[in-house]
Amino acid sequence: MCFLPGVKRSRRKNQCNISSARLLLVLLPVITALSGCATYSTGFVQVESELVKQNPVKALDALEKMDHPDRDRVLYLMNKAMLLRMAGNYSESNLQFEEAKRLIQERDAISISEQTTSFIINDATRAFIGEPFEQTMVHIFSALNYLDLSQLDEARVEALQADVRLNLLNKRGGASPYKEDAFARYLSGIIFEMLGEWSNAMIAYRKAYQAYSRQNASLAVPVPVSLKHALLRLSSYLEITNEFEKFKTEFAVADWDTVAKLNENGEFILLSLNGLTPVKRESSHLLPNPGTGRLLRVSLPYYESRPLQVDSVRVIADKQEQRTETVENIDAIARVTLEARMPEITARAIARMVVKDQAARAAGEQNDWAGILTNVFNVMTERADTRSWLTLPAEIQLTRFSMPPGTYQLTLEWLDGSGNTVTTKTIDAVALKAGEKKLLSFHWLPNHLPHTRH
Amino acid sequence: MKSLISVRSTLLILLVTFLSACATEVTRMEPDEVKDLSGAWNDTDSQLVSEEMIGQLMEENWLPEFTRQKNMRPTVIVGTVRNLSHEHINVNTFVADVERALIKSGRVKFVASSGERGEIRDERKDQDVHSREDTRKPMGQEIGADFMLKGSINTIIDASGRDQVRYYQVDLTLISLADNTKVWVGQKKIKKFVERSNLRY
Repeated sequence: MCFLPGVKRSRRKNQCNISSARLLLVLLPVITALSGCATYSTGFVQVESELVKQNPVKALDALEKMDHPDRDRVLYLMNKAMLLRMAGNYSESNLQFEEAKRLIQERDAISISEQTTSFIINDATRAFIGEPFEQTMVHIFSALNYLDLSQLDEARVEALQADVRLNLLNKRGGASPYKEDAFARYLSGIIFEMLGEWSNAMIAYRKAYQAYSRQNASLAVPVPVSLKHALLRLSSYLEITNEFEKFKTEFAVADWDTVAKLNENGEFILLSLNGLTPVKRESSHLLPNPGTGRLLRVSLPYYESRPLQVDSVRVIADKQEQRTETVENIDAIARVTLEARMPEITARAIARMVVKDQAARAAGEQNDWAGILTNVFNVMTERADTRSWLTLPAEIQLTRFSMPPGTYQLTLEWLDGSGNTVTTKTIDAVALKAGEKKLLSFHWLPNHLPHTRH
Repeated sequence: MKSLISVRSTLLILLVTFLSACATEVTRMEPDEVKDLSGAWNDTDSQLVSEEMIGQLMEENWLPEFTRQKNMRPTVIVGTVRNLSHEHINVNTFVADVERALIKSGRVKFVASSGERGEIRDERKDQDVHSREDTRKPMGQEIGADFMLKGSINTIIDASGRDQVRYYQVDLTLISLADNTKVWVGQKKIKKFVERSNLRY
């Protein structure tokens, strides 16, 4: 309430508004400075700085030092699992993934209390369960961990779980462009082929092929050549003549390995997990409303890519050279997912802004200071939800090639866009048995990242 | 005024949330007590399936036939049970349950599996050097198994929204080591309907 004796209520109210507007103008720099406090992604700098030093163990220490409220536990577990995987601790990594999966299932239900809080405060007060693509990635990376541990049946479990998840996504409908994961299907096919389950492998490869074809326009990942070979190999082996002829005409691939040849030889499957996914940042608009003298603020998330210095990997085994090709563009998947969700996020932010402004108006009618404080509180708590799984790679590349049984030295050269070598790695004495499929995966992390913007 | 009430109730909600998150309650349970939490494969399934299947195994013809022909109890070894399901089932616990049910039946002899016998053989080698002669166990005296019990756990999952029908099928096969004939094939099915709420607090 404003007490100015001898002034009519209407004028008095106007004066009050002017004075509160002045006050808010004074407070504006303070609010701007304070609301620059860390969102999730800006707090991650320490972890990133250890990662660019190629030190996942120290990055893990930095992650443990970060404050993770219970609502962010899934995010913490996802990052922890990935850092443990980078450090070569696959079993421990899978324990974290399992816990994350359990929590995602539990927190997938709509929470009444969180819905209320997120409507009054901001979206980041809700429990994080990851975007659908991040949930699929849990299965992909857990499967890769099991493959590194040579536990093929357990990797198969992950392939089946990914299948259940993707089938549900397919059924769900809606505007989301992410309804299928081409690489999850491709990897499942590889796992089934490793186990000699030809029909299951064929079904998974076929689904991968359909997904790559459908998503090429938005994600710019064409059907990988190695998948074309796999489709020809299995449709021929399973005598699915129509499909085999169709693939032969469509792919026009002259030379591919038959099942019989792969039984005589062994096959190397090399995966390179390149770079880091884009970071979600906050874009805020703070506007004083001259009519009411109150401040309005809308904060929305956007993705900022982390530069990828690697174009492909050259793999040299016994003087034979192979080049990897992109099989999953996680950077693009993240972007199209956010793009599709933006109308919903924006609508919620605007609705919240209106509710917050009404609350400040109502408080201001009772007491000027209450109005100002409510407005300041509302403006400061208006933050974008910038939580995302930041230790995911930006893209996954792969190459498959057959070699006669023997022991090989493998040289991997990560190349930039102009063909210059960025990093080299040599692996000595890799034994390959007849009929074996040896899958090896490597994380490639950039050696610098641009300064984090606040 | 309205807004003050809503601010107050929000604070109350937050306070209740914090307080309710503090309480952890632990209740001891009997091992045979059934409690399904997530609908996933659990110890009860493992015990029920193994006991019922070994019960079936003992009822079948192959056992009296073998005893009549050879005039002795058959020796069985447990091979691999593959997990082909949608879950990371601990197959070792299931195998242990199967072994326990086999021993309990008392109608077959039962030898250590390939995983376990390595350690026994090492110990025997060690005895050869370090043990007194009258207590030393000689090598080459192991009993060769007549049959191997192998199997798999499979699942079919039908999911819609947050509800699932989980269908488990456990197959066990007893194979004669002499000629690869399958003398017994057993199957046990479990079906669960898992309903999960769309809302939480």
